[in-house]
Amino acid sequence: MEFRPIFLSIKHNKAIALLVIIQVAITLTVLSGSLLMTTSTLKEWNLPSGIPHHNIISAVPQFYDLDVDVRQSVVDDMARIKSLSGVINVSPASQRPFEAQGAQQVYLEATKEAQEYDTNVFTGNANLHKVLELSLIEGRFFREDEIITGKRDELSSTPPIVMISEDMAKVLFPDNNALGKTIWMEKGGSPAEIIGIYSNFMNGERLNYFGQSYRTVLQPLVTWENRNDPSYLIRVEAGMAEGMLETIRSELYKIDGRYVNRVEVLTRVQKRMYDGRGSQSIMLLVISFVLLLITAFGMAGLVSFLVTQRQKQIGTRRALGATKWDVVRYFMLENGILTSIGIIIGLVLSIAFAFVLTEDSGANILDMGYIFATAFFIIVINQLAVYFPAKRAANVEPAIVTRAA
Amino acid sequence: MFAYNAKLAFKSLNDRPSLTVLMVAAIAVGLGLFMTMLTLGHQSSKIPIPHISQQIHLVQLDNREVTADDVDNFNDMVDLTYQDTNNLLNLDIAGAEQTLAWNTYGILNVEQQEIQPQRSSVVATNHAFFSMFEVPFLYGKGWESDADQFGQAVIVLSKASNDYLFGGINSVGQQVRLNTQVLTVVGVLDDWFLVRKFYDRSYRQAGPDEAFVPSNFAFNNDLPRNARFDCWSTTNNPRKFSTNYLTELKTSECAWITFWAKLPQDNKQDYQAQLGQYIDTQKSLGRFPRDNQYFLTNINDQLIIINGSGGRQEMLGMISYMFFAVCLINAVSILLAKFMRRTKEVSLRRALGAKKRTILQQHLIEVIFIGVIGGLLGIGFTYLGLQAMLRVNLYASDYRNTVAELMPYHQMDWEMIMAAFSVSVGCTLLVGLYPIWRICNVSPASQLKAQ
Repeated sequence: MEFRPIFLSIKHNKAIALLVIIQVAITLTVLSGSLLMTTSTLKEWNLPSGIPHHNIISAVPQFYDLDVDVRQSVVDDMARIKSLSGVINVSPASQRPFEAQGAQQVYLEATKEAQEYDTNVFTGNANLHKVLELSLIEGRFFREDEIITGKRDELSSTPPIVMISEDMAKVLFPDNNALGKTIWMEKGGSPAEIIGIYSNFMNGERLNYFGQSYRTVLQPLVTWENRNDPSYLIRVEAGMAEGMLETIRSELYKIDGRYVNRVEVLTRVQKRMYDGRGSQSIMLLVISFVLLLITAFGMAGLVSFLVTQRQKQIGTRRALGATKWDVVRYFMLENGILTSIGIIIGLVLSIAFAFVLTEDSGANILDMGYIFATAFFIIVINQLAVYFPAKRAANVEPAIVTRAA
Repeated sequence: MFAYNAKLAFKSLNDRPSLTVLMVAAIAVGLGLFMTMLTLGHQSSKIPIPHISQQIHLVQLDNREVTADDVDNFNDMVDLTYQDTNNLLNLDIAGAEQTLAWNTYGILNVEQQEIQPQRSSVVATNHAFFSMFEVPFLYGKGWESDADQFGQAVIVLSKASNDYLFGGINSVGQQVRLNTQVLTVVGVLDDWFLVRKFYDRSYRQAGPDEAFVPSNFAFNNDLPRNARFDCWSTTNNPRKFSTNYLTELKTSECAWITFWAKLPQDNKQDYQAQLGQYIDTQKSLGRFPRDNQYFLTNINDQLIIINGSGGRQEMLGMISYMFFAVCLINAVSILLAKFMRRTKEVSLRRALGAKKRTILQQHLIEVIFIGVIGGLLGIGFTYLGLQAMLRVNLYASDYRNTVAELMPYHQMDWEMIMAAFSVSVGCTLLVGLYPIWRICNVSPASQLKAQ
């Protein structure tokens, strides 16, 4: 084989060889670092929402006049919104999909040591499942007469029934049917019976980040507190959502003493859920791509330059009977050896870098699969960068060597 | 000789121009990303109100229970309880100004029906806030100290709120409603660029809040308290204090009020002595069970600790350093290869009497030229990079920030432009050293024999 001449030639050009090795090593480190960051932030990215979010509007009104009768205004609001043309259904809701607040815990026992299960609790009236278009998997939905309505600290009891999502059922009762079972919404609180299981829908950033995107519980409850009034989820005809925002806003403003905080389509809420992570990851990917381009072009430029340097040697080898492929193979092998050394150093650096990033971000992002994939990718890119100039070089006529210098 | 060398250098750059372009592009792109990150860091690590920042101190008293964890910097320390805030405000300390701040919110609205009510973030504070922080006023001024005592219904609006509610006219003396209470406007802020919103300890890159009211006014009307409550010896869920149980909150051991003191540059001791004395008197009342401890941290020291813990920016910074390194290595290997090809020519020139110095000069010119062009292009790339980051940050904030608000954090100043230039020329020279050294050490005539 031709290893000996390759090593001799590398030895002859030590500095350039060293530079290629360092470049490969650092490129691998940066590239795998950003890839690991990207994949770890984008995991659970853009999962199906489970609801027709393009056709759901959310409105968040707030009374600043604390003397307003909230109970009556909720009834009025619902009637007025429902009478608007284009509105299919409306429900008060304590939270919005994609934007559920911090996780809440539910328990399977009343004891103090009971295990905690993270979830997001959504409350609404008997129409909420129609607004979200949830399908029933087992049991039944809430009935009108089961909805408890009132100011939060004046409520005498919590609802004795709840519904849970398909995923929540799997988590709580992995081996059994969840229907008819009992859960506790508070440690030592009163029990609630599961009367139905519905199809999954997205809760929010907090649990999504931990891969628990569909863990939700529904309560038949319409409540409010001072300065924390029920918001509304409104299902409208397909394609009409954007155009109806202003109508709904001015409809809600018809009651005095209130401020309408946000009227928006749920697609916007969904965008907010992902845009911090999305923008960061896309930025990293763009940076990685540019870096890869620079490395590839740099490598190609360098090799094509070195190749012209060695025209005479190539001519000699060709004159001595080497085929074109022999010449190409020589250059690719030379580059392959250098790249491999760089890759080995780069692997060590990458793992170290991943540890630093893990410490910074608080989540374990190390995944050898991605690092090896990046390494393989760099080898391929470098080999390609060498192949084309080397092929051109191989076209040197054997006779060139016979000419005077 | 210089002219001749310069000519040779340019001739060499012109030889295989694609390689020259590649080198310059690599340096420029690497520098662009590097400087983008450097500029973002530079702009956001500036100090708010720099001429007085060393005199403005955050005051924290350690009134926690004996079993609480030890704390060694202000960031992990609790703020002040309502009691201590009031007691400290009542102390008369020569030369020191004191203010408190806590965040609340409400719906600002005016009589005119066509202006829709606006949810606004409001700071509850006292009259000293405006003089201590040298808040710029467009119209009017802050309220007087007697307004604090009784919690008079007066309000200072930010420029943005005044524009929204009053169309930007001088609204001093006009009435505005916060929720259902009627307040009189006494002042309107001018543009106030804070770098970091330090006064509520959020250190966010944001402008001032939308309105300011006397703290006692906020208490009298039970405005919501948008704060973190660090509570001990209470049975209530602390979170409930934000909208409920005000009376209990006032007497309980819950720290939640940010407290500031402006002390004369050369005299912190008087104030410290007063604090020590205060803690001693409180100890005799059975409070402050721990060792005497208080934190006085000026704005500069606060930012050192806050800037020390930036996760995402740091990670991008690290990546940008390495990125730049790859670009430089890329450039230097091409440079090296290029120079090495010239050994024969250099050897001939040396044999004909050219001095080492001449050869050095020729190649230095070439490298510096690459550095300068790379630097110029790199500044262009930095501009593009900052624009891109501005768009990304606008997008990430769901367009709730305006371009004007974010712009100061995304623009180069002369300092950064000079830095870009020197980094480019400096780094190119640094990495060019080895190729230059190699080429200068070619011995005369050594390469002339036939191969």
